[in-house]
Amino acid sequence: MATLERPAPRLPNDAAARTIRFVEAVRDRIATVVVGQDIVVERLLISLFTGGHLLLQGVPGLAKTLLVATLSKTIDLSFARIQFTIDLLPSDILGSEILDQRTNDFRTVKGPVFTNLLLADEINRAAPKVQSALLEAMQERKVTIGKESFRLPAPFLVIATQNPVEQSGTFELPEAQLDRFLLCNRLDYPDAVEEREVLKRNMALGVQREERGAIVKTEFDVLEGGPVGSSEELVEAMEVVHQVHVSDTFVEHVVELVKRTRSHPRIELGCSPRAGIALVKASRARALIHGRDYVVPEDLYALAEDVMLHRMRLNYEALADGYTGADVLRQLLDEFGFTRNPTTRASHIRI
Amino acid sequence: MRWVEGASRTSVCGLCAVASWCAIVAASARAAEVPKLPRSTVGLPARVEQLVLQGTELEAAPWDDATPVVVRIEAVYPHGTAMRYDISYQGLEPGEYDLRAYLRRKDGSTTDDLPALEVKIETLLPPGQIRPNDLASGPLPRLGGYRLLLAAAGIVWLAVLIWLLYPRRKRAGETSGAEASLSLADRLRPLVADATAGRLPPEKLAELERALVGYWRRRLGMDDLPPAVALEKLRSHPEASPLVRQLETWLHRPAGAGEVDINALLSPYRDLPADELDRVPVAAEAHSR
Repeated sequence: MATLERPAPRLPNDAAARTIRFVEAVRDRIATVVVGQDIVVERLLISLFTGGHLLLQGVPGLAKTLLVATLSKTIDLSFARIQFTIDLLPSDILGSEILDQRTNDFRTVKGPVFTNLLLADEINRAAPKVQSALLEAMQERKVTIGKESFRLPAPFLVIATQNPVEQSGTFELPEAQLDRFLLCNRLDYPDAVEEREVLKRNMALGVQREERGAIVKTEFDVLEGGPVGSSEELVEAMEVVHQVHVSDTFVEHVVELVKRTRSHPRIELGCSPRAGIALVKASRARALIHGRDYVVPEDLYALAEDVMLHRMRLNYEALADGYTGADVLRQLLDEFGFTRNPTTRASHIRI
Repeated sequence: MRWVEGASRTSVCGLCAVASWCAIVAASARAAEVPKLPRSTVGLPARVEQLVLQGTELEAAPWDDATPVVVRIEAVYPHGTAMRYDISYQGLEPGEYDLRAYLRRKDGSTTDDLPALEVKIETLLPPGQIRPNDLASGPLPRLGGYRLLLAAAGIVWLAVLIWLLYPRRKRAGETSGAEASLSLADRLRPLVADATAGRLPPEKLAELERALVGYWRRRLGMDDLPPAVALEKLRSHPEASPLVRQLETWLHRPAGAGEVDINALLSPYRDLPADELDRVPVAAEAHSR
């Protein structure tokens, strides 16, 4: 069979082994601060390894900010955080030119976007022009201030957060901009065991003396010691991810799954080709994190929601019938996996 | 001289009185002039306005079925010593009539001092004809008229609607029905046969893989599990794991095809009965959840 006679990719085993050790070290270090959230940690690492941006969606108090701050300290990366508000200006993120009174000349002051890891907290609270400024930087990885363009440091990863509950005074990101996020992970509450552990750890934090006063310690004060991974190791991991084998069969799975979102009777706007690219990229990184040098359908299924859900828009009929995007994606995956008969337009239309 | 002056004054007064009398007589003469009343035809009302008639106020005389002209006084206005009228009349029989005969004074006095109010009522029918003319013959109206036209348009509209909707629904129903009638085993069989013969292109190999995994998910009652979780469970399931692992090796591992005996792997699925999954007791596999 011609399709099966493919040359085996040359995966540098020592590099792969180093990457897997690097992943384990990062996960262990993060686990000392953040309880549970294994899936989110995995998604963070996938974003790091693929250079794709990540959108975290969840109610307040699920350790989104702590997680990203911990990751930045775990790997030797520069980190900046921007709290998005309605009055934020593009120059607050990108930087601006200011007049130096000593030299009577303009001097460029770079904004917080010039970092390796940027946490855009509550990105939907900023006005669209600010969101656009950041999303352009995410896409082009360069920023223009005045007449001069500046390249952003590498790696450059934006981790944005959104609160799905309080929608008043927010500006929802349009699909075209959501499409620029490689993954959109919806955080869930921890289970009872994890929540118990969170409480125990918090109770054990204690108080930290500072000069003549004291402050109550928070989880942000727990992370001690230097980073367990360097930016060189990160770059090596990114290279290894690119050598993870993707079979023709897997590509066919991706093509078929993405294609089905465009013809599903309950979906108005299906996934773009960028979704397929994102699925392959993210699957490669997930395969490596799971110790494989090839992708399998399990990677596809595991990442489908995070890659595809924010790139789909349900039609009016589906919304009126009370379907959510997750419901429809689940149906689509069941049909795709032969565990459910296809949803036809006839079974959907009610006259 | 005084006498002369007095005589002159008297003659001037007399002249004024004569002039006033002449003016009154002239006005009376103008009031007595009766305009020519318009002709009319039988049944068609005619009207004369601002007609000045001397004497006290007039009213229409009572009329009965034999009265040839019906006269109505529509409005009355005082006009010096005379009255001014808006009068309408409608002839019921052809002929020449004097409207004075159909008027009377409210105070009961005579109407002889009125001028003649002659009108001519003409007829459009030839003499002696008492029935209306037949309708002039024209082109035939549309067959069936407007209602039939509306009904026909409605039927056409309904037919087009049915043509638009029914065949499509039927086609969709046939498709879904055909797909629904094909069991998973039915779908697997040709894929397995072609894969064993080495004829499957990558897209069909992908379909085969999904169908085989779907078969085991159904068989082990894992339909409701998220696909990634189901796959993880299948990989550790004693019955399903050999297939899942070998499929991964064959289809996804670099150079893994040579490590798998495809005939042996697919032989159990070559002749699956169509109702294979229906006969599997789900309860027996409940532990796998």
